Amino acid sequence: MIPIELFLLLSAVLFSIGLLGVLVRSNGIVILMCIEIMLNAANINFIAFASHSPEPLAQIFVIVSIAVAAAEVGVGIAILLRAYKVRKSTNIDDLTTLRW
Amino acid sequence: MIGSISFMEFAWLIPFVPLLAFVIVGFFGTKFKGGGGLFAVSCALFAFAMSGLVAYEFFTGSGVPYSPDPIQWLAIGEYTLNFGIYIDGLTCVMLLFSSSISLLIFIYSIGYMSGEGKGKRRYYAEISLFLGGMLGLILSSNYLEMFIFWEIMGVCSYLLIGFWSFKHPDGDEASAAAASAAKKAFLVTRLGDVCFMAGLFVLLWSFKSLDFGVLFDPAEIAGVDGGMILLGILLLFGGVIGKSAQFPLQDWLPDAMAGPTTVSALIHAATMVKAGVYLVARSYPLFVQNADAMLLIAVIGGVTAFIAATMALNNMNIKRVLAYSTISQLGYMIMALGVGGYIIATEMAHGDVSSDGYTAGVFHMMNHAFFKALLFMGAGSVIHAVGTEDMRRMGGLSRKMKITSFTMLIGCLSIAGFPLFSGFWSKDLILEAVMEPSSHSIIFVLLFVLALITAFMTAFYMFRLWFMTFKGRTGDASAHCHGESPKSMTVPLVILSLFAAFSGFFIFLGLNDVITFSVIGGEFFVGGHGHSAAYIMDHIMTNVWTYVSIAISLAGIVLAYMMYARRSIDPAMFNADGKSRIYRFLTARYYFPQLYDQISLKLGYSVAKGVEYVDENLIDGTVNGLSNSVIGTSGSMRKLHSGYVRDYASFMVIGVITIFVVLYILVTSGGV
Repeated sequence: MIPIELFLLLSAVLFSIGLLGVLVRSNGIVILMCIEIMLNAANINFIAFASHSPEPLAQIFVIVSIAVAAAEVGVGIAILLRAYKVRKSTNIDDLTTLRW
Repeated sequence: MIGSISFMEFAWLIPFVPLLAFVIVGFFGTKFKGGGGLFAVSCALFAFAMSGLVAYEFFTGSGVPYSPDPIQWLAIGEYTLNFGIYIDGLTCVMLLFSSSISLLIFIYSIGYMSGEGKGKRRYYAEISLFLGGMLGLILSSNYLEMFIFWEIMGVCSYLLIGFWSFKHPDGDEASAAAASAAKKAFLVTRLGDVCFMAGLFVLLWSFKSLDFGVLFDPAEIAGVDGGMILLGILLLFGGVIGKSAQFPLQDWLPDAMAGPTTVSALIHAATMVKAGVYLVARSYPLFVQNADAMLLIAVIGGVTAFIAATMALNNMNIKRVLAYSTISQLGYMIMALGVGGYIIATEMAHGDVSSDGYTAGVFHMMNHAFFKALLFMGAGSVIHAVGTEDMRRMGGLSRKMKITSFTMLIGCLSIAGFPLFSGFWSKDLILEAVMEPSSHSIIFVLLFVLALITAFMTAFYMFRLWFMTFKGRTGDASAHCHGESPKSMTVPLVILSLFAAFSGFFIFLGLNDVITFSVIGGEFFVGGHGHSAAYIMDHIMTNVWTYVSIAISLAGIVLAYMMYARRSIDPAMFNADGKSRIYRFLTARYYFPQLYDQISLKLGYSVAKGVEYVDENLIDGTVNGLSNSVIGTSGSMRKLHSGYVRDYASFMVIGVITIFVVLYILVTSGGV
């Protein structure tokens, strides 16, 4: 059996890639994709622990998490679409008018 | 009691119906013919009839004060504040003369205020409230209830004195004067009312109750520190000084003449200023606990009587002369009550004692109500006819206004103490009461002399008023006088003149047993144990001072006759044509208005300055400092908000990492 540390390592790497993407990229679509990567890194963690446990709770949690991620992307894309209509751009660095 | 109905159970209707009239006339007065005047009169008539029935029932009953279980109004901790009625002989006498005189004044108003138009609604509503306030005060069973009605009257006096402050028949200047007179009356009496309220606090704190039943119980009084009672009664008397216009707060009353004459009659005869005297008479069981306080009260009364009489000597305004005479007569009443209380206070410890001073004071209050209402309404009738209040422009009116001049003559004879008229009996009783404790202190002899001089001045200035108005040469204003006033004005005058002439005889017809105050076996009794009619008659007729006072008042009348009717003595020789110092001093009312102004300016201004300083620097400073610090902080904090999503995300990440690191260190170091 593959040791759990490897799964955790994969998850950590994926999470870091996603986080870096959110912090450095300015395209809204790409940021949404990076958030998905981070969510999936968490899901991998859950599954890895679930395979070492008789409890089905973690698996259920992953399914819930995927559903939430789908909804989140739906809302996120809709916001970006509206923003694009107004600004003619998906670059979130342009969307700073609501600061103070 | 007639059948099984007890009228005393319904005594609360006496103040309630006029108060109801206030609401109905106040809201729907314009719907009535004549602005609700007849409605107000009928409510006053009801109050009078009810008072008569209650008084009849009381006097034919056992004579024990009637005070049913009160309605509990508020209960705060250990204190209970009630609303109830308290009926004894004093209550009945007050109810009878207040309601009857008010009724006559209301009837008279229909004629006097006929030209007021829309203002009538306000007028009738306010006088109804005034009457309701007075009757409520008389029937109150505790001091707080009394204070509420006391304040209602304060408001009414303000409203009615300033009745013409919007549109005065004499023009804009007079309406401004009316407005400031109303304010003065309100503020000066307020000073007294604050004392009254402080007195209530003291009494409530000492007795744990304000009900008369508790406060007038000798056992309760014995359980309370004498110092607290002294403080309480002095503060209560402060309220009396304000309300009854005693020295040194007497100056609002002459200014209060700015209102309609009917209002002056109401204030001076039936309500308002009588409330102060009533308060003293009502609180006698407390007041007699301290002889020195009673001495002070007597002295204040005597001083008031004297200085007010001097101010009346040279005034040219018919209503102001009457106003000064009211202050002077109120001084008499307070003096009589003070002296009577002094006797009781000093003799109480040695056994049973009753007081002539109390009888004399209350008796004079009643007689004064009749003749002063008469005089004011007579003066109102004159003013109505000639259109001025200046006596120099009147004169020779007796031919044109026969009823008014004759009834006013009766009033003047009565107040001057002409033998057999009502004022004679009560004034003589007062003089005698003042002489009674003369062996105790020289002060009483001085007070007696002061009272005699006042009696002389009273006779003089009242007849000066009468001769200047009705006799002598015809003045320019009385030249175009259009005859006698309407029936609604003369009929009350005639009725009142009967009372003014004969109400003195009530003392021989049972009143001598009603308005007495005695201490028997340590218990207080109002009513009963009075001297017999024969004893009083004998006492007055065989007393040498009676004849001295008669001679003195006759001398005053004769002097006034010589100066103002026959003009054989020129008034100018006394005052150097109005230029002598004392004449100007009296005209300026002893400079009391200036004194008030100075005190209130100096005191009020410096207090206001202090308050302004605290307000601007302390309170505003705190508020402004607080808001400035919030603005400053937020101003620097808002720089953090760049609007870039990545900045917020970075803060979040940094925060999470920080929390993680801190927790990691804590866990690994074994802290948690």
